[in-house]
Amino acid sequence: MSRLATALLVPALLFGLWSVSAAQGWLPEQLLPAPTAVWDALAETAVGGDLSADILISLQRVGEGFALGALAGLGFGGAIGLSRTLRALFDPLFLLLAQVPPLAWIPLVILAVGIDEAMKVTVIAWASFVPVVLGVAQGIRDVPEPLRELGRALTFDPWDLVSRIVFPAAVPAIFTGLREGLANAWQTLVAAELFASSEGLGYLISLGRQLFQLDLVLAMVLVLGIVGLSVNGALALVERRLLRWQAPAS
Amino acid sequence: MSEIACPPARPAWRLALPPTLRPVLSGLVVPVLLIGVWQVIAAAHVVAPYILPSPAAVLARFRVELAGGTFRGDVVASLSRALGGFATGAPTGLAFGLLLGLSRLAGRLFGPIFLAYRQIALFAWVPLLAMWFGGGEAGKLAFIALAAFAPAAVNAWRAAAAIPAPYRELSKALTLGRLDHLRLVALPSALPGMLTGLRSSLIHAWLATVGAELFLDIAPGLGGRLNEGRDKFEVDLMIVALTVLAILGLGFSQLAATAERQSLRWRRR
Amino acid sequence: MTDALPDRSDAIAALEIDRVGKIFDVAGRRVEALRDISFSVRTGEFVAIVGASGCGKSTLLRLILGLDTDYQGEVRLDGRRVKKPDLNRGIVFQDHRLLPWLTAEGNVAAALRRSGLPKSERRQLVAEHLKLVGLENFADAWPAQLSGGMSQRVAIARALVNRPRFLLLDEPLGALDALTRLRLQDELARIVRHEGTTALLVTHDVDEAVFLADRIIVLQPDPGRIARIVEVNLDAHRDRSAPAFLRLRDEILGTLGVRPSPRAIATAA
Repeated sequence: MSRLATALLVPALLFGLWSVSAAQGWLPEQLLPAPTAVWDALAETAVGGDLSADILISLQRVGEGFALGALAGLGFGGAIGLSRTLRALFDPLFLLLAQVPPLAWIPLVILAVGIDEAMKVTVIAWASFVPVVLGVAQGIRDVPEPLRELGRALTFDPWDLVSRIVFPAAVPAIFTGLREGLANAWQTLVAAELFASSEGLGYLISLGRQLFQLDLVLAMVLVLGIVGLSVNGALALVERRLLRWQAPAS
Repeated sequence: MSEIACPPARPAWRLALPPTLRPVLSGLVVPVLLIGVWQVIAAAHVVAPYILPSPAAVLARFRVELAGGTFRGDVVASLSRALGGFATGAPTGLAFGLLLGLSRLAGRLFGPIFLAYRQIALFAWVPLLAMWFGGGEAGKLAFIALAAFAPAAVNAWRAAAAIPAPYRELSKALTLGRLDHLRLVALPSALPGMLTGLRSSLIHAWLATVGAELFLDIAPGLGGRLNEGRDKFEVDLMIVALTVLAILGLGFSQLAATAERQSLRWRRR
Repeated sequence: MTDALPDRSDAIAALEIDRVGKIFDVAGRRVEALRDISFSVRTGEFVAIVGASGCGKSTLLRLILGLDTDYQGEVRLDGRRVKKPDLNRGIVFQDHRLLPWLTAEGNVAAALRRSGLPKSERRQLVAEHLKLVGLENFADAWPAQLSGGMSQRVAIARALVNRPRFLLLDEPLGALDALTRLRLQDELARIVRHEGTTALLVTHDVDEAVFLADRIIVLQPDPGRIARIVEVNLDAHRDRSAPAFLRLRDEILGTLGVRPSPRAIATAA
């Protein structure tokens, strides 16, 4: 059996089971709508509703929040990675705050900046900030000592040392942090939209729940998966370009 | 573990302190300063106290909650939810991941659909699970278990699939049977990855606990108290709840790190 | 030269390599690693295979061990084709390949999993062999705590603990420093004599081969084939600086395309 066929076997079986179960009415429609119902809901939102507008607003929130959080994370992570003093001063407080699940901040942030865009962007930014800081600081600290020694042997000044040796050597770890930050941003977006929103993919899911339209919920879960996949794919593409010097993982 | 690097030159004023105390003290500088600024702002009444209560007010609230309130019950409720979901989801995830990593057929059959499932944001499952299991305890536990499942599975899968070829070859050279290979080579080799998975899984369970308490039916728990703080505009209560969340999270991390060190003692020199 | 030793070995040949060839498929390209290799090893003999890196000598050892069965020709043990690894052939790899999560003792004991011996006897055997390699005091040490030479001793103990008929040595001392290497060569000579096992050593170190082996099979690369087979008729107590030793070494180096230094020639003459 070919690889693709094997990969598709289980999804196909599950789908078949789902179809049969829907056709035979094994489960009430409120618990498991038919595949056709999900498809209809998807088509309806895509054509009649404004799915693309909701996707766009969700992407915009992730984009803004992630950009803010990642930039701040690169700066702060770089600072505590490079400077022992800054690390000693700020690391403990940061680690303590990082222990709080990002969405636990939502209620407090709502009180502080209101329930609108600012709340979502703030929470998403914080959610992406944490892993980026951890990745950057760890990456810089883990730069092999021999490489730093090489820099000293070549009498690099601090700027050259950072830009030629420390930063490039830390890039893989930085990307791990960025990837995790993006994943967190995405998770938090859905949470924030579920919690308080009037547009966006998370809102559509919670709308489906309130209206007891499981077909809409499932359709949006599907859309979320596809959009998430594309966003991750885009980041992976960037990463591959930047890390061409690494041996390809087999 | 390379703790053998030469100690860097330190400013003389630090040398007076015992070395174990140094990081604790320097780590306290910024928080103490921040609390000082907070106190000054609160005392100056620049901001209304219901928006920014003074540190003393928060401390007082903490005492009240500890003494008379339901706070202890909330902490216990949240902790037992998190651990219950973790205890269900993480072992299942480990087993599933190991199966995918150790059996090529299982990896090819279930790997792709599992990866596809991973693309869906965790919280997207909340409405679905709420409809299937209800918004009460069952729905919350199901969500937490689901959150704990994926990280354990992913890491165990990766670790089991990455058992170095030389070790597999050694297994063949020693003519080890399947069970011996699993016990002596495969599982120990995958252990670090599995522990990473368990740690990540514990963190996710904790995150999902707070999420479930925020999004699903009101019940005792720290997430519920956060919601209550928002509804009643009690910022002091929210700060107390967040602080406790942070401390408990720190406790979880420490616990996981200790467990990891204990099980990987062969790595030490 | 390739059809060496037709007559006298047949009667007591224990291991026969019969017109063995091996072709690898590297990214769609056919790479011939071995061509028409034939020789046999008598019981109790110490045979070394020398050659530059890339001449396929390690590949040959893998075929003899039975890790790879996809090749032309036949590897026969007592007249039967080798199909898979067996405990009558112990192997020492170049990387010591100790399992880092097992102690020295545990690593040696791992080789006894399929021996079918009772526990007490196994423990006895493990202790004996750790003593044989001079590590009886390091039974509880983790591999991370052992030096390269010590690790390789444990690997030798692991290869011998089943009292195999054949000891396969795949550049066992290749990763060690020069001094440790000389010391372990002495050790190896002693151990093999003590155990009375038949040994097959793959090495690129001609000195090592001349020092240890009764017979040396010289391979040349592209594709790997036998250049010549040299009998070593030196004293049992070999002197690394004796003229006969140096002459033989230079002769083999010459076959490998390395011109001996004038001084060595002068000494040898």
